Amino acid sequence: MRKVAIVGIGHTVFGNLSEFDLVDVMSFASANALEDAGILKDRKIIDQLFVANMGGGIINHQTGIASALVSRIDLEPAMAELVENGPASGASAIKCGFAAIASGMVDTVMVTGGELMRTVTGWKGTDFVATLLHPEVEYNYGLTLPAFAGIFTRMYMERYGLTERDLALVAVKDHENGARNPYAHVQIPVTVEAIHEGENAHVINNYVAEPVRLYGTCPVSDGAASLILCAMDSPKMKYFTKKEPVLISGIGSATDTHCVHHRKDPLDLKAVHLGAERAYKMAGLKPEDMSFAELHDAFVILELAISEEVGFFQKGKAQEAVREGVTRIDGRLPINTSGGLKAKGHPVGATGVSQVYELVKQLRGEAEEGRQVKNPKHGLAVNFGGFGNNVVATICSKEA
Amino acid sequence: MLDFSVYGQEQQEVYAYKCPECGTLDYPAPMICKVCSARRDPSGVIFSAWEQVPLSGKCKLLGWTRVYALPEGFDVKYLLFAVVEFENGLRASGRLLVDDPQTGMELTAKVGVVKEKVGEDVYGFMFDRV
Repeated sequence: MRKVAIVGIGHTVFGNLSEFDLVDVMSFASANALEDAGILKDRKIIDQLFVANMGGGIINHQTGIASALVSRIDLEPAMAELVENGPASGASAIKCGFAAIASGMVDTVMVTGGELMRTVTGWKGTDFVATLLHPEVEYNYGLTLPAFAGIFTRMYMERYGLTERDLALVAVKDHENGARNPYAHVQIPVTVEAIHEGENAHVINNYVAEPVRLYGTCPVSDGAASLILCAMDSPKMKYFTKKEPVLISGIGSATDTHCVHHRKDPLDLKAVHLGAERAYKMAGLKPEDMSFAELHDAFVILELAISEEVGFFQKGKAQEAVREGVTRIDGRLPINTSGGLKAKGHPVGATGVSQVYELVKQLRGEAEEGRQVKNPKHGLAVNFGGFGNNVVATICSKEA
Repeated sequence: MLDFSVYGQEQQEVYAYKCPECGTLDYPAPMICKVCSARRDPSGVIFSAWEQVPLSGKCKLLGWTRVYALPEGFDVKYLLFAVVEFENGLRASGRLLVDDPQTGMELTAKVGVVKEKVGEDVYGFMFDRV
């Protein structure tokens, strides 16, 4: 299998971009990636574009998005396809790009993920994301992703003694990182006093789906992120001299039951566990080799549960690590250095690409002051689709 | 809610499906039996249709939530949702009618209108106190 490197990265700010159109937002991130890679003028060396998007057809009334994007950034006649895998579309598109290069089919790939969710009301946005649930036995009831997060969180609390204060600590840590990320949707730090202990905490941090509160969920965001991938053994690597390449050393994914009620133990996120195991195996690495991680905290409970499933902590012990500051930027294992979905935002199709963008940024040593991990070697990203029914894990490494 | 008895119709049911080969029950209907790999043909043309077994009655509350941020089409302040386990071991998600639930409590599953659409009521599980 050929080695695949990330040689260019691009990002838009996450937030409310509803004044722009979807393909423009994606184009901007893509152009940033071309510029970062130093191939804005030589962009036609890109063989293939993979686009990640979940809801263009539903909420933006637009289809054929990959064809539109390839043309908007003048990349024709490159091959172009759309990858839709719910909120894990981004990492799935990276996996497609990786496979296309590793197999020898192509040498250079652009992966761009984007979503415009704030063009519709919150009610419609929640409804759109919920369409990934089982249409008959889940969606029809009004069940949503926040509803399953509520059920999951309560079960976790009852079994492992997790407290609302622990959840607040995760949010505070993520917002601390997000406040230092110029692309984050929410760049305002929060305190435990404000969202948990204070007199008005229950008003500021009201329930969304008990026991999940507002600061236990990510914002609804617009935005895009883009990567450029190249085979390390390709002659085209001569174009990429501007930045040090970062290797995709492992990538794996797995699925779990579509219906949450089919899981023997609903607290077992098997697809996370197996997806990460596959990525570790490909990379020849272990959980303890990871210097930092970007974990899909659409709900802060997921940061804890995923960190256990990928082998960082024992089951039910992640909250202890949070209390001890292990996952803070200056801790032993920083998690969600970008602010995570919690603070950075979650434009669903963009998220998986944005997580790997952060891995590259950290591994290059380019993160902003106050949120750069010290001498990182390997980083793990977990992009969580559905309520854990389709999960992609990606490991990036500094080139040895 | 419409009283179907007026029109000579029975109350809507929610069904589990029984594999004709090995008797395994599943909900919702699978296309391949998880235990013996027998196939189901929804049209009943190529393979036999599977027996429908009404799913209701006693169940245990496994997990629940009260949701305030509801999607489009649900015009109420909040709704409660639950995952339950029936006495036959099958599990299901649905609407919870108990306002002060306790995990592990015994419930009974009824079928009622869970979503009202123009020209079509959607039926599903309503879990209530025994």
